[in-house]
Amino acid sequence: MDVALDSLKFIDLTTANVIFLFIVGFIGGLVSGFIGSGGAFVLTPGMMSLGVPGTVAVASNMCHKFPKALVGAIKRFRYGQVDIKLGLVMAASAGVGVQVGIKIQNIILDAWGQAGSNLYVSVSFVAVLVVVGGYVFYDAMKSSKGTGVDQTPALALKLQKINLWPMIYFKTANVRISLWFTIPVGFATGMLAATIAVGGFIGVPGMIYVMGVGGLVSSASELVIAFAMGLGGTVNWAMHGMVDIRLTLIILAGSLLGVQLGAIGTTLVREVMIKIVMGSIMLIVAVSRALAMPKYLAQLGLLDIDPGYVSIMDKVSFGIMCAALALGAAIILGAMFKARKAMARQAAQEAYSQA
Amino acid sequence: MAHELTKKQALVRMISFGIASAAVYGAMFQNASAFAEMCARGGLYSAMPIAAVFLVSYVHGGFASNLWTALGINAKSPAKTVQATQTKRPEVRATLNA
Repeated sequence: MDVALDSLKFIDLTTANVIFLFIVGFIGGLVSGFIGSGGAFVLTPGMMSLGVPGTVAVASNMCHKFPKALVGAIKRFRYGQVDIKLGLVMAASAGVGVQVGIKIQNIILDAWGQAGSNLYVSVSFVAVLVVVGGYVFYDAMKSSKGTGVDQTPALALKLQKINLWPMIYFKTANVRISLWFTIPVGFATGMLAATIAVGGFIGVPGMIYVMGVGGLVSSASELVIAFAMGLGGTVNWAMHGMVDIRLTLIILAGSLLGVQLGAIGTTLVREVMIKIVMGSIMLIVAVSRALAMPKYLAQLGLLDIDPGYVSIMDKVSFGIMCAALALGAAIILGAMFKARKAMARQAAQEAYSQA
Repeated sequence: MAHELTKKQALVRMISFGIASAAVYGAMFQNASAFAEMCARGGLYSAMPIAAVFLVSYVHGGFASNLWTALGINAKSPAKTVQATQTKRPEVRATLNA
């Protein structure tokens, strides 16, 4: 059966397009399986660079994100890292955050148009990533110089001591905290997911530094949040007929391989590696988005800049974004390789000493 | 952690899931344009892309999981907790150090 597709909505699939989507899907999956999120941010601009309309790119990306998160969550649940209750409590407030985030986006879109909306997204990206990513990276460096074992942050310890009804105990995370302190973290996760499509950049550090959950359980439980939000978002987009299932299936083919490898990686490396990867990616992506800002400022008439420079900065910005993802994947694979080598050496030594 | 598969078992499962995954992908991409158009109709048809990705998650996810196991890339088992052995302490006896 040969059906002509609407060329405004569906791109032609070439071999190069398929390979690009598969590879980005694999690397994105690897990073998501390891840090709980962060793999999807390259896919939307990546698909748009292939000519996919923005809404179809967002919808198709989201449609691949929730099954990937589901598979990653199941895998990490088997390793005893997922706190389902924590994920679901966070997902509930994140759902509200998504709705508020979309409302704010619409208000900005009506007031300042597409360029204003893009500028708001970029400013949010840079502000959140520099502040949160900078702190995560600083903390990771501090931990890696020490024992590599995470201490419960001071803020989280203070909040856990406040007995404000209703108190919730998260068994796998081994944290008892008031519901009222989980709500802002979940809400901010949803807001960020609606704004920059990667809620985990707030969700995971929020669970670590505000609630006092360990890095492993935070990144694993983030997959539960990503699944719940992704499924809800996909139903919404699919009802409007915005999903290009061909793109989703190709990305999913790569990301299901990657997400499982990333999940395996969390059991092999030190816990601090999660913070190192997350902090590195966040800081590099912040640079990428900062380079995209002059274009939107020029479109709003707030900056006078040569269009040639804007075009170059746009390309450099996308290149840096891809580099951030590739660097994250390289750190994960490098750490896994080193850990496996050390395990093999230890096993050989044990065998030698027994002989 | 659940029962761990041997490399051979993983290989057999990888092949089974791989065939199923190839069949699912083959069926969907055989009529890719028609399938994509149906998935993008919206309304009740929105169940189609969601059902498709759940199916792919199961078959291709199963293939991917067994592929890494067959290649020998496994998760590290959690460190075995050493159970403190209950040894009978010698009874304290009063001694006279005189």
